[in-house]
Amino acid sequence: MKTEPKIVAFLCNWCAYAGADLAGVSRISYPPNIRVIRVMCSGRVDPAFIVGAFEMGADGVFVGGCHPGDCHYISGNLEAEKRIKNTQRLLSMIGLGPERLRLEWISASEGERFAQVITEFTENLRKLGPNPFKAQVNAKSHTDMKKVISEAIKKTNVQYCLECGKCSASCPISKVNNAFSPRRVVERTLLGFEEKVLSGTDVWTCLTCFLCSERCPSDVRFPEFIRDCRRVASQKVMEELCAHRGIPTTLSRMMTNPKIKQDRMDWLPSGAKISARGDTLYFVGCIPYFDVIFENFNLELLKIPQSVVKILNKVGIEPAMLSNEKCCGHDLLWTGDLENFEKLAKTNATDLKKTRATKIVTSCPECYRTFKKDYPEVLGTFDFDVLHISEFLSELIDKGKLKFDAKLSTKVVYHDPCRLGRHMGVYEPPRKVITSIPGVKLLEMPRNRENAICCGVSAFMSCNKYSKEVRADRLKEAKATGADLLVTTCPHCQIHWKCLATEKLPTSSDSVSMDMQDFAVLAAEALH
Amino acid sequence: MRAHKSVLVIGGGIAGIQASLDLANRGLKVYLVERTPSIGGRMAQLDKTFPTMDCSMCILAPKMIEVLRHPNITLLTYSEIEGVTGSVGGFKVKVLKKPRFIDENKCTGCGECAQYCPTEVPNEFDMSLGIRKAIYIPFPQAVPLKYAIDEANCIKCGLCERTCKAQAVDLDQEPETINLNVGAIILATGFELFDIKSISEYGYGKYKDVLSSLEFERLICASGPTGGHLLRLSDGRIPTRVAFIQCVGSRSLRGGVRFCSSSCCVYATKEAILIREHNPECEVYIFYNELKVFGKGFQDFVKRARDEWGVKYVRALPGEVMENPETRDLTISYEDTEENMTKSMTVDLVVLCPALVPRVTNKELAGILGLELDEYGFFKSRDILYAPVDTNKQGIFICGYCQGPKDIPESVAQASGAAAKAAEAIQLTKNKGVR
Repeated sequence: MKTEPKIVAFLCNWCAYAGADLAGVSRISYPPNIRVIRVMCSGRVDPAFIVGAFEMGADGVFVGGCHPGDCHYISGNLEAEKRIKNTQRLLSMIGLGPERLRLEWISASEGERFAQVITEFTENLRKLGPNPFKAQVNAKSHTDMKKVISEAIKKTNVQYCLECGKCSASCPISKVNNAFSPRRVVERTLLGFEEKVLSGTDVWTCLTCFLCSERCPSDVRFPEFIRDCRRVASQKVMEELCAHRGIPTTLSRMMTNPKIKQDRMDWLPSGAKISARGDTLYFVGCIPYFDVIFENFNLELLKIPQSVVKILNKVGIEPAMLSNEKCCGHDLLWTGDLENFEKLAKTNATDLKKTRATKIVTSCPECYRTFKKDYPEVLGTFDFDVLHISEFLSELIDKGKLKFDAKLSTKVVYHDPCRLGRHMGVYEPPRKVITSIPGVKLLEMPRNRENAICCGVSAFMSCNKYSKEVRADRLKEAKATGADLLVTTCPHCQIHWKCLATEKLPTSSDSVSMDMQDFAVLAAEALH
Repeated sequence: MRAHKSVLVIGGGIAGIQASLDLANRGLKVYLVERTPSIGGRMAQLDKTFPTMDCSMCILAPKMIEVLRHPNITLLTYSEIEGVTGSVGGFKVKVLKKPRFIDENKCTGCGECAQYCPTEVPNEFDMSLGIRKAIYIPFPQAVPLKYAIDEANCIKCGLCERTCKAQAVDLDQEPETINLNVGAIILATGFELFDIKSISEYGYGKYKDVLSSLEFERLICASGPTGGHLLRLSDGRIPTRVAFIQCVGSRSLRGGVRFCSSSCCVYATKEAILIREHNPECEVYIFYNELKVFGKGFQDFVKRARDEWGVKYVRALPGEVMENPETRDLTISYEDTEENMTKSMTVDLVVLCPALVPRVTNKELAGILGLELDEYGFFKSRDILYAPVDTNKQGIFICGYCQGPKDIPESVAQASGAAAKAAEAIQLTKNKGVR
């Protein structure tokens, strides 16, 4: 039996909702497939709502708003138009196609048109068939809270805590928010108040940047402890604290669906040489998605993979790439969704093996850490030589295979992303590559390498006034060095900083805006 | 001298000195081998000792002189152990006497040569805070009071040679190998400081006003580079607020050593009192994790520091120290674990109390002597409970910090113990007729 399509319809209170109402009172019949959610304005409809609806199994999403010029909030509908186009790109990329999302302008008097549009949309969806990407939201096998916590206490050395407070004195969040203290989280857990800890916000406040752990004399790996806690902590609290309404993790979860067939390679410049199989594989990561989600930050994130491919081609490597590449699962792992993370890990391992690659190059420190540390742990084996692009380039320079030929005249300051730096201990390769570019002067912030502070957010969690202070603090520190350009190897740092620059802050906007660039982009610019 | 009537003591610090004197006073022949040009060791570098606040040198110097004058002690300074064979009652020891380029018999210690020597180098005795010449004595009370030329830094200008009225300078001096026959050996190699640069968050090596506690001892000592005036090395200002940070590298499961150095809590208290004595206006804070003050009178000592001297104790290990590049003031971030608050404090001077670790050269020495080291690099006791000064080799004994963390009184007591054990070992082999 054929199933009927389910449509989630977001209707603007003033026009489309009234139009639907008119259709109803006028007894105009239209298919009963829609579930209406009234919103005050079509501009309220966040891409995350749409993607979320598809994740939960909707076959189509309909957004109805006022005709242009009729918006009761001046331009909400025009914003909606931009967003919907943007979201359609996102849906095409993940393989759902743009047709399942429809935006229409329907005024309060257009009852008939409403019925007609819905009939047509339903008909189209029937032809398209059911949404193949229904994912399991927060798939959680039944985990025994007490067991998870007591194992975590042993595994992450929490039991050796000396209560010296060095962690809290180092934590960038504790410095601005006295209510959060890694030491006290540990203390409360050890005293048996784990339920209180797990139902509070502390578990989600930690940036998992590893600064506390780097300095802890007792080798308590607090971020890993937090990661385990998140497996059993209240999902309700987590959802409230998700930045960008959790859209990055939603997309990651959707990618666990084996039927997924993405269309994510259109960033590849013509003339770039890649292959389906080969010894060296370049793993792009979520950048194509981020480019759409964070479009209004003007980050030009796609330059990162474009630069990496350019550099690799330049040194005679045609990297293998996956046209249906899945998320590495980093954010799922660090928000406690171990089950979906494992699914991604297994799929990725299979797909990667098929390419016959022995070497994986990543331009994202999160993918790097996940492949190098977490996949072997979860899968037992992950037999690839994983290299961050900075390590890869540094090796090439050592072997004399790479020489930068374009002279750039700039002073740059390098920020150590937590995943590449403290998590993985990669401090020198990016510096070595930067300093070997002619005309580039590398400056250092006072807090560098193992003492670098976090960009302010990780895994898109807990973006709040404290994390904004941390970000502003880091940007000010970078600015004070007198550098022209802030270079980082992690696209997430850039996203979080640029996000801050779009906010209204008590500090002057001048102090938090700084030119920034990805490491790979800088390196590619130094090649003719 | 017959082998069974003599003992070799390696290390001329307080433990080695005590062991040598005990043995010599028993009528045994002692060879005291010291690596540097003078005996005295770490204790000579200290300003005062806890908990009595006695002048360290005033206690040590008479003992050093006694060693020099004792008819039963042969002092071999600037010398190292090259090889040891044999067993209890009959060890054959090869000692390498490094060239001082000074005839020890002629040098009067007048110091005229050093006045003319053009090469200035950091003085190791002052923890490189002060300077010395390439021809030098490590410190004024050095024993023997004989100059030495530091070959690595000497430019061979010959000025000293021309200046020396005693004609003691001999730039052609060669290393000399001395063979000794001894019945027993005592090791007292002491400790060195953990490399606190590796605890990078505290900025040691990066900020001039972050000192190690031994550097601080030299600064506050009247014979030190500032003549006992406590000054900031960055700008020469007198500090008005000083912070001590305990456990830098010690008691650490990561990036440090796992043991407690056992003396820092008390010596920091002593140093804090010294600051208050020198300058009552100066506030002193001690950041600690646990106050491990277990010796006789130590708890009272801390109480006195708190109540009478106004030293402030903060139960917290700071997260980091940051310097203000303009004022050179140092800001310490910490969580006051009694108030559950993350705070920061700005101070003029930070003193780090580093982990005291066994010498790295212990490994080489253990190889020469056939000894075992424990997991931390200390010489391994045959049994930590009932034979702490014995080693896995009969006739070789250990005392002082090289056996395990301890303070001066404990080192002295253990040195006497090792001396008694060494004498006993010789006695037993003699009775058995071993030579």
